[in-house]
Amino acid sequence: MPAFLTALNPGWLMILAGVVAIFLPMRRVRQGITIAAPLLGIALLVMADQNVNHLTASVMGLDLVLYRVDGLSFVFGLAFLLAALLNSIYAWHTDNRLQDGMALAYAGAAIAAAFSADLMTLFIFWEITAVTSVFMVLAAGTRAAYFASMRYLAIQVLSGVLLLAGACYVYNNTGSLGMKAFVSLREPGAMLIFIALGIKAAFPFMHNWLQDSYPKASVVGAVVLSAFTTKLAVYAFIRMFPGQDALIWIGAVMTVFPVFFAVIENDLRKVLAYSLNNQVGFMICAIGLGSAGVGNALALNGATAHAFVHIIYKGLLFMSMGAVLYRTGTTKASELGGLYRSMPWTALFCIIGAMSISAFPLFSGFVAKSLTMSAVSREGLTVVWLMLLFASAGVMEHSGIKIPYFAFFGHDSGRRVKEAPFNMLLAMGMGAFICIAVGIPAIVPGLGYEWLYNLLPYREEAMSYQPFTFDHILTQMQLLVLATFAFIVLKRFGLYPPERPGTILDTDWAYRKIGFGLAQWMGTVWGKVGPAMTAVFLGISSRAYERIEAAFSPRGELARGALTGAMAIWTAALLGLVLLLAFVTVG
Amino acid sequence: MSNDTPETRDKSGRFLSRAAEKAHDLHTVSDEGIHPMAKVLFGWTEAKNIGAIMFWGVGALGAALIVLDVFIQRHEYFGFANWTGFYGLYGFACFTFVVLMGWPLGNLLRRGENYYGDAGGPPADVDPEMPLPPESAQPTYEGDD
Repeated sequence: MPAFLTALNPGWLMILAGVVAIFLPMRRVRQGITIAAPLLGIALLVMADQNVNHLTASVMGLDLVLYRVDGLSFVFGLAFLLAALLNSIYAWHTDNRLQDGMALAYAGAAIAAAFSADLMTLFIFWEITAVTSVFMVLAAGTRAAYFASMRYLAIQVLSGVLLLAGACYVYNNTGSLGMKAFVSLREPGAMLIFIALGIKAAFPFMHNWLQDSYPKASVVGAVVLSAFTTKLAVYAFIRMFPGQDALIWIGAVMTVFPVFFAVIENDLRKVLAYSLNNQVGFMICAIGLGSAGVGNALALNGATAHAFVHIIYKGLLFMSMGAVLYRTGTTKASELGGLYRSMPWTALFCIIGAMSISAFPLFSGFVAKSLTMSAVSREGLTVVWLMLLFASAGVMEHSGIKIPYFAFFGHDSGRRVKEAPFNMLLAMGMGAFICIAVGIPAIVPGLGYEWLYNLLPYREEAMSYQPFTFDHILTQMQLLVLATFAFIVLKRFGLYPPERPGTILDTDWAYRKIGFGLAQWMGTVWGKVGPAMTAVFLGISSRAYERIEAAFSPRGELARGALTGAMAIWTAALLGLVLLLAFVTVG
Repeated sequence: MSNDTPETRDKSGRFLSRAAEKAHDLHTVSDEGIHPMAKVLFGWTEAKNIGAIMFWGVGALGAALIVLDVFIQRHEYFGFANWTGFYGLYGFACFTFVVLMGWPLGNLLRRGENYYGDAGGPPADVDPEMPLPPESAQPTYEGDD
């Protein structure tokens, strides 16, 4: 392979192709590029040597590593490239230069960030993901999307600024920008970087940008958004904070709380956004296991495998809801139902995605989540393990049953629409294929789940793990079948809460209502106080001016003769007083 | 049914009751707009008594999985997880809890659709040839029935 190709970061290739695509009016040529770029990227990645610095640079005394592949970044890079390929196929029916180009550049920035080995390069691509991804929300072209995109951008850029500040601290302290695992959060800059990553990973109370923007994005935009930002944060956490105890509890809380929001949310794309949160929680929890700065090999494998399969099945679920939105104009559960009659293929692919995310044996979620669950139980963390198991039943509720049931089955909405366009079905079919291909036992050695386990950063630990044990299949099936039975019982006895339209309040209420209200109130107050204060100042200053003028101007008091006389009298009186005092004191 | 309409017979020569036929038509969706694959893939969901079949079928499967657990000696890291049917009962309990919490949480947290003043239509890239939604697709309250 030519030297320049070995040094070409697939992410850079994608960004370049994205920029070209923005200016390319010929639709099919542009779309050809959006499909060819990820394919070429995959080829470049597969051929690249691992653990070698392929491209380095020295800028203003900073040593930057612009392209380096290792076991961990390979998996994330590959998953991002596959997602970009599926997204391009999914978008084939559209004709939107900006969306095509920005989607490619966004994927490219995430890939380039994963292959950068220093904090400054990471920061640059971190910010590019923020700036390019906002166009996915803006592409929806609605008023709600515009406002959501501005909130999204502000929060994403804040994350970047915190990352930069943290990088500066690290450089100041160690003299190097290399990406190393922090042993303690007390190290200089560690906390800033932790929060920066936490924002992108949508930690509890920092999560609202996700539920706010993804459901308001365009049909294609939401699919693109679901793949990259949060998983890039997961990658960065594995790289920099393995074994941080705090992550265990943050992750466990992340898996549990979205479950409650998802059950009452009416917009199915928003349900998927909460579900995304819940899934990232599993990964974050896994990263926190083990000793600080090192982590637990089984759990880190679990987080990496989970990220890989999650990118595919979450993309698939967003694609299926995107297809429903494309054909019906809504994803509100209260307005949908019975769509399997019109869109049976979409329904089938959606069910495959739903079974994968619920971790049914023979689907991809099972082989990935098992690693994390085993690692948590081996560490003896009883409460955390029970929380994750609770969240697994929760996933079954909102993504496993609610999404397919309320869109495609249940009460017939009477909507008779066309099946999704062929390109959408093709992308969904490919996603569904990966979900099953990665989830099945390795009947042919090296294929099935072993293909994924072979790629994981701690390969030997992964290959010695056996997900398909009788115990494991039995317990997982018990959990899922009885959870499904609970759904049937609750439905049958009318205990399942009805899907009602409405807005569900989340913690973003604090800034969207109180914060915004406060800002508006301050604006109103300033609007009234400002002129009032100006008037007061004007009054005082004009009065002062008048007084001064009255005293000192040529026509003023001091210029008058009468005052001159008075001055003489006063001077005489003062002199007299001084003389008197002198006499008294001497005497 | 009036007496002046002639009775019809089916292939085996039996009279068909018009009322039953009409009633049947009422809950059988017309073939219009129905994808041919729908019957193949999901035709079974239209089976009569599908609710009862699912209830007893999934219930029996769940019970079988728990019974199977009696004969299996599992080796869990937590002692309590070795109890027979622990996973199944825990899954059932968690699922039920989550769903039942939907009632109070919904009342507590649900506001009007336009609460933040930004409710609007679908995104710009939906199907330009989208049919108008049927009246029955106007906001309905799934689960009320």
